[in-house]
Amino acid sequence: MVMKKTYLKLFFGLLILGSCNLEQEVEIDLPDYEIRPVLEAYIEPGERFRLLLTRSAGYFAPLPSLDNLLEDLLLDSAEVTITHNGVTYVLENTLLFDPGTQKIYNYAAGPNELAPTESDLPFALNITLPNGQTIEGETQLLAQIEIDSVVIEFPETDEPGDTLARALTYFTDDPGRDNYYRRMLHLNSLDSLPEQDFVTDDRLVEDSTIAFGTGFNYAVGDTLLTTLYHISADYATYLESVEGAAAANGNPFGQPSPVISNLGGTANVLGVFTGLVSFRRNDIVMKN
Amino acid sequence: MMRLFYMLTGLLLTVVVQAQDITISGTIKDGENGEDLIGATVAVPSLGLGTSSNTYGFYSLSVPTGDSVRIVFSYVGFQSQAFTLLPKADTTFNVNLTTGVELDEVVVKANSFQEQINSTEMSVEAISTREAKLLPVLLGESDILKTIQLKPGIPSGSEGRTGLFVRGGAQDQNLIVLDEAVVYNANHLFGFFSTFNTDAVKDLKIYKGGFPAEYGGRLSSVIDVKLRDGNNQKFAGSGGLGLIASRLTLEGPIQKDKSSFIISGRRTYVDLLTRQVNRANEGNEDFSAIPDYYFYDLNAKVNFQLSDKDRLFLSGYFGRDVFGFSSDFFNFNFDWGNATGTARWNHVFSPKLFANTTFTYSDYQYNINNQITGFSFGLGSNIADASLKTDFFYAANNTHTIRFGAMATHHAFTVGRLQAGSDDGVVNFSAGQEFNGVELGAYVSDEMKFSDAFSVNAGLRLSGFDNDGKTYVGLEPRVAARYKLSDRWVVKSSYARMYQYLHLIANAGVALPTDIWYPSTQRVKPQRSDQVATGVSYLLGSKYFLNFEVYYKWLDNQLQFVDGAQIFVNDALEDEFAVGEGRAYGMEFSIEKKEGRLTGWIGYTLALTRLQNFETLDPNGRFAQESEGFGPFNPIYDRRHDISVVALYEITKRLTASATFVYGSGDLTWLPPGRFTFQDVAGAGFEAVVPDYRERNNYRLPAYHRLDLGFVYKFFPKWGESDLTLSVINAYDRRNAFFIFFEPEFEGEGNNTSGIEIPTRIAAKQVSLFPILPSITWNFKF
Repeated sequence: MVMKKTYLKLFFGLLILGSCNLEQEVEIDLPDYEIRPVLEAYIEPGERFRLLLTRSAGYFAPLPSLDNLLEDLLLDSAEVTITHNGVTYVLENTLLFDPGTQKIYNYAAGPNELAPTESDLPFALNITLPNGQTIEGETQLLAQIEIDSVVIEFPETDEPGDTLARALTYFTDDPGRDNYYRRMLHLNSLDSLPEQDFVTDDRLVEDSTIAFGTGFNYAVGDTLLTTLYHISADYATYLESVEGAAAANGNPFGQPSPVISNLGGTANVLGVFTGLVSFRRNDIVMKN
Repeated sequence: MMRLFYMLTGLLLTVVVQAQDITISGTIKDGENGEDLIGATVAVPSLGLGTSSNTYGFYSLSVPTGDSVRIVFSYVGFQSQAFTLLPKADTTFNVNLTTGVELDEVVVKANSFQEQINSTEMSVEAISTREAKLLPVLLGESDILKTIQLKPGIPSGSEGRTGLFVRGGAQDQNLIVLDEAVVYNANHLFGFFSTFNTDAVKDLKIYKGGFPAEYGGRLSSVIDVKLRDGNNQKFAGSGGLGLIASRLTLEGPIQKDKSSFIISGRRTYVDLLTRQVNRANEGNEDFSAIPDYYFYDLNAKVNFQLSDKDRLFLSGYFGRDVFGFSSDFFNFNFDWGNATGTARWNHVFSPKLFANTTFTYSDYQYNINNQITGFSFGLGSNIADASLKTDFFYAANNTHTIRFGAMATHHAFTVGRLQAGSDDGVVNFSAGQEFNGVELGAYVSDEMKFSDAFSVNAGLRLSGFDNDGKTYVGLEPRVAARYKLSDRWVVKSSYARMYQYLHLIANAGVALPTDIWYPSTQRVKPQRSDQVATGVSYLLGSKYFLNFEVYYKWLDNQLQFVDGAQIFVNDALEDEFAVGEGRAYGMEFSIEKKEGRLTGWIGYTLALTRLQNFETLDPNGRFAQESEGFGPFNPIYDRRHDISVVALYEITKRLTASATFVYGSGDLTWLPPGRFTFQDVAGAGFEAVVPDYRERNNYRLPAYHRLDLGFVYKFFPKWGESDLTLSVINAYDRRNAFFIFFEPEFEGEGNNTSGIEIPTRIAAKQVSLFPILPSITWNFKF
């Protein structure tokens, strides 16, 4: 990531003549594209079984507006089940909007059919699409990893203007297995876009402390919400491939790659089915 | 029994008769500055005998005893000299050739074309520094390596595509040697300039096929760069002041006729300007400081004639690119470069036997250092070689010239060395791999002249590589044959097998300094190629040389990245590789004119490269092309058509104009044919448009074409020579595609805080790098 930013900086830094219209719009004819189903299914402890099933589109296919967005995107009328510990939950084709998280789902089990808060047993997903094609997936819930501490630090200067602090987040990794994490940092509310959103693993960790840091960006009184997800290897791979695909567009040094899903079946699906265990804490920025 | 007796007697007589020949040998040099002349012709026209000088200017010719012989020595750009000798015994005869002309047009004899007709070498391109200095150049920096890309078979660059892709070979398949030391990254500024300072270069040759047995280690090309030795007659200098860089070369005798030195340096100075701009804007909050960037290189060489039979050469190269950025809380430094050192000893054992022994050291590294208050991060990679080789040249007689030799190289690799952590030591992580490999080679070849018309150069190279508890050995046959249909027509064919034990881990397109050299290991097998080529050349009149060649190349154990490869900071880098095979074939045609006021060439290449059957080294790895049934694909450097037209016109003695026109099919690029939306988890933004990449390299960029113009106006002051060179790159301001991306456009108010933004349309945008770029340089010579 540092590397790509460096090259982008250098690249643009060298475009002294960038104002001379070196970027222009062109007409291109892309190869034919076969529309695919797109799935996001997360098993969240204590939450209802629910998922979002949509469809992809040709890159230059007409874009939906906010009014017909759902109609255009959603892939309805599929048969969806999740099986766990011998029980099969049927997810009905229904539109569900979670006002707290601002997320939508078009398949959900009953309001009392909740994922367990912890379990060692696998979850199996089976979907049959209206055209007869199938989607299959399997996942588990991992152990929750707690954040050990969030340290708020002000710069060590006497400048009266230096009033902003940074936050250092520490947690302990289990060296006995390969672990993957996603860590998000929000400012004041979860409604806003995250300040930071990283996926990482413990490949390079020599002892068992992992840390994340920020720049000196936060004022006294700000609330920092830190969320640490303990995720599976295939979800980490999926997230990195999605980020890689998005980053390759517009970056001449990027290496494009297809999105790497963890789903099977006959439907040539794109997406992810994963357990999502998290730990969250709030910290208020204060001068000590 | 009797038959055997006659045969043996006949053989003995041949040897005896041959033994009565006398050998005339020596060195051919430029009389004005003592430089060895490489490939100078030595001929006895009355007897139909001939040979040429080797890379150290040494020649050896066998003539019958008894009669006097008239020997003619000639070399392009020099006056031929003829001598009548009556040798009674083996004779050492050194020759100094001079240009012999003042300011008149230098008459270039057709002997350089004749040499190409006579030689068994094919698939070779050479360029003189004179041509390189006259052709229009980017930002005024003449670049011999960039200029040779105007020859057929070598795609002449594209917008920002700076690697060399010779006959469908990947950018790591080029062996670049500078005075026998391997140069791993011959690029400054991501490849826009090469590391070769034209003022210091004597000769540059590129082999695209038919590789002589003394070369090995890379599949697709050998770029052999020889530095000048330095004027051993008088002190001299040259240099230039350009738009972005300046250079200076100083040379002279240490002891006249016996030893000389040359030192050549170059540096850019845009950073001096940008630092002033930064300083002027220090108080301006809206201003983003421009990062520092500069590159420099230094070539130095001394040579000593220790005795009649011994010469010693010591040369070195050091170059660096430095990029830096710093602010109150953040420091970033990125530097990369090569260092090479060579010590060579020539020894003449006898008039027929010449040897060169070389010790070289070569080092390529990059270092990234990043510091944010409280944290530091360092990343680097390095390859260091120490190599010893010896090459013998044995002119057995006029029908057999034998070359043999051996080499051993120790490679030390540091791959992805990372050290990062907090200043208080609480957080600490590191990564990196180290390898030590030994590469060996031994070869023998014989240039056999069966008749005036038919010659064959047959050779065998044995190579090996040891690393990671695994030893690879390869046998590399090399054959080249030439049949002269007449003095003007020649047909040539060649076959060469090559092994490559080192691999460049890189994105296919742009030459980045962070590209990593990785050795063959237990899992990563050596790359291999087999190339056949056949061609015909015709000398039309005395001025035009036509060359037509077709080739076919089989490539094995080719590496690509798996989908979603993690290249940086990865101790298990091999898990990111997929291995497959390739095929490259094509046709090259050129017509060249070297005499007269108008000189130049036109070259056309029609080629295809295809890769297929990739399997991942890690069973869990994914290579979508295969697993999703997409099948064979073309790499991004697969260019179907490539045309170059180069013309130099001497308007007057002072003024030369030049023009270069290139046209090529666009490179391939990988564009996503589809898109999807990604809602993501609570707290994360909604991505309305995420690309869905499918088949690799599925789109061909628009054709690349460009016209460059140059003018050189010479002055002749008392102290020497100078000129003003004006270059206009991209004279008709063609916007060639560097890359294409898709940009969603949003109209009206976006509801940013909730993170849901739907674009109203998506535009395809093309980015170009170079508009019309004029530049002016002042060059001087004293």
